[in-house]
Amino acid sequence: MNHATGAMTAGGTERTQDAWRHVRYLFLAFLGLWIVFTVFPLYFMTITAFKSAAEANLTVPTFWPQEWQPRNFIGVFDERTNFNALVDSFVIASANTALSLFLGSLAGYAFARFPRQAGGENLAFWILSNRMFPPVAILVPMFFLFDNTPWGTDSHLSLIILYLVFNLPLATWLMMVFFRDAPVEIEEAAYLDGWTPLRAFFKVTLPLVIPGMISVAMLCWIFAWNEYLFANLFVGTAVRTYTIVIPTFTHGSQTLWNFQMAFSLLALIPPVTLFILLRRYMVRGLSLGVVKG
Amino acid sequence: MAHLEVEGICKGWEFPVIDELSFAVEEGEFFVVLGPSGIGKTTTLRLISGLETPDAGRILIGGTDQTRLPPYRRRIAMTFESYALYPHLSVYENIASPLRARRLPANERDKRVKDVAELLRIAHLLDRRPGEVSGGQKQRTALGRTLVADPEVFLLDEPISHLDAKIRHELRTQFHTLEDLRKVATVYVTHDYAEALSLGDRIGVMGTRGRLEQVGNPRDLFERPANLKVAEHLGQPTINVIPSRIRRDNNGLFLDSETGDLRLKLSGESEAALAGYSKDHVIAGLRPQYIRPIDEAADGMELLSAEVDVYEPLGTNGIMMANLGSMSLTALTDPEKHYETGQKVQIAVDVSGLHLFDADSQVRLTGIT
Repeated sequence: MNHATGAMTAGGTERTQDAWRHVRYLFLAFLGLWIVFTVFPLYFMTITAFKSAAEANLTVPTFWPQEWQPRNFIGVFDERTNFNALVDSFVIASANTALSLFLGSLAGYAFARFPRQAGGENLAFWILSNRMFPPVAILVPMFFLFDNTPWGTDSHLSLIILYLVFNLPLATWLMMVFFRDAPVEIEEAAYLDGWTPLRAFFKVTLPLVIPGMISVAMLCWIFAWNEYLFANLFVGTAVRTYTIVIPTFTHGSQTLWNFQMAFSLLALIPPVTLFILLRRYMVRGLSLGVVKG
Repeated sequence: MAHLEVEGICKGWEFPVIDELSFAVEEGEFFVVLGPSGIGKTTTLRLISGLETPDAGRILIGGTDQTRLPPYRRRIAMTFESYALYPHLSVYENIASPLRARRLPANERDKRVKDVAELLRIAHLLDRRPGEVSGGQKQRTALGRTLVADPEVFLLDEPISHLDAKIRHELRTQFHTLEDLRKVATVYVTHDYAEALSLGDRIGVMGTRGRLEQVGNPRDLFERPANLKVAEHLGQPTINVIPSRIRRDNNGLFLDSETGDLRLKLSGESEAALAGYSKDHVIAGLRPQYIRPIDEAADGMELLSAEVDVYEPLGTNGIMMANLGSMSLTALTDPEKHYETGQKVQIAVDVSGLHLFDADSQVRLTGIT
């Protein structure tokens, strides 16, 4: 009796294991497809950046450059202002990120610690919801709004402020979550040690949310760095972001794909570098060893 | 004049938590607030420290009203149940925090931190982060942070409840020897009666809504509990609660349990307690150490037959749950003896250990004096 039952159970387990193996293969196949899907554009971008203009425009594309042409990477800077565009983007993205973090932290802290006084959960969510409508809906209104400022649309300042529309809600919401996770008792302990609320904030609360802050900074920075829609309408002669420069690589009616891809690759370097440098902080836990026991 | 005075403080959120709580702690006194979890002990400390503001009442420290003073202006040190150490700072910086807040010169700060660390035996851990030390060491760090501050009032919130038994005892004895704690007014909150009895100069037993059921020295509380709640809270295993009936006949006063299984002749002390008491019903409390299984009866000893329900051998003694008819009694036994479930035993009850409480108000009967 016992034997029979044992065998049956074992058989059942084997069958289940088989079923799981099939699911695993399916999953791996899906992952493989996904990798191709995400890596192929990068691959094609990279090889195109090294092709000659003629080869990049072939109707039947080549998947390996017939002739390597690394001087594309220098050629993109024949127009001197192209380098300035990268600088402009960098300045705008960094300034906007700093501002988003500063204001977002203050607001997030208020929502986390004094939800009632700060307007409550609904207000916090309303702020986040500002990120949910299609940006194009406010494209034209924003243009007229900033056109009426003393500095006009064609300025660093306008774009820095404009991108707050998208980055500040995100920063506020995420910082609120991070502050909420930072134990309030630690702040209270600091008060009892004799730290005033402001000093306690900088001494104990802020350090606890720094890993979270770095993640928020990355998100904000990358959004501002890559923004095209608004920049396209706003910029003129005083400021040009790199996203505006990419479509300008043409020769007559011919699109210079090789230049566009080379320039895009160069524009990829700052965010990727930042990510590699800060990756360590992004995964680090928020509160280390503060809980009981 | 008392150093810390709490005068009729009230605090509530959706419902009242603390209702008209008053007590005073002298300078150098170790006052223990004892009570079950969620009764308002921590809230009391938070009110004293200024982390919460009372809805009514006053808090005086050193004779001055500090009810509205923010916590960072009061000279109060408090340990949190969760320790609340700064995870990103070293043990040294955690302890140094109150001194840094006061901008003490570096050399003096350094000396005081090291002295305290030495005292608490964590001097070798000063460079570590709180996440890298054990629970007991975390608690010592939290304690160090409060000791170094040189405050006027110490508030200790369940400082050793979450540690394992051995370290708990070690730290408990250390509380006895920490001079700094013995110089100022200390309020120590715990749910562990043994901690309270061991440490308290005075103990306040807290009941619902922060009501102090009884305040007194440990001996008083244990030997003369003011009501059933206090009696139940102090002592492990818990006191036997026996709803009973008073019977008077020619031979004297008798106590019959409501179940009818236990009939005891009352001693002179109990008679005195019942003097002037007109009701028939009382609640009798009898600590397990006054109930013993016995092999041979001495003269005049009344023996009862019972059956062992559960027996727990605990090394230094044993705890026996015995059924006496339909009634269950807890008894403390000698460590040498062992009992089996279902075993028939003879039980002796020492009536001198009886506590009598009013059947309705559950207040201790002291008789008319």
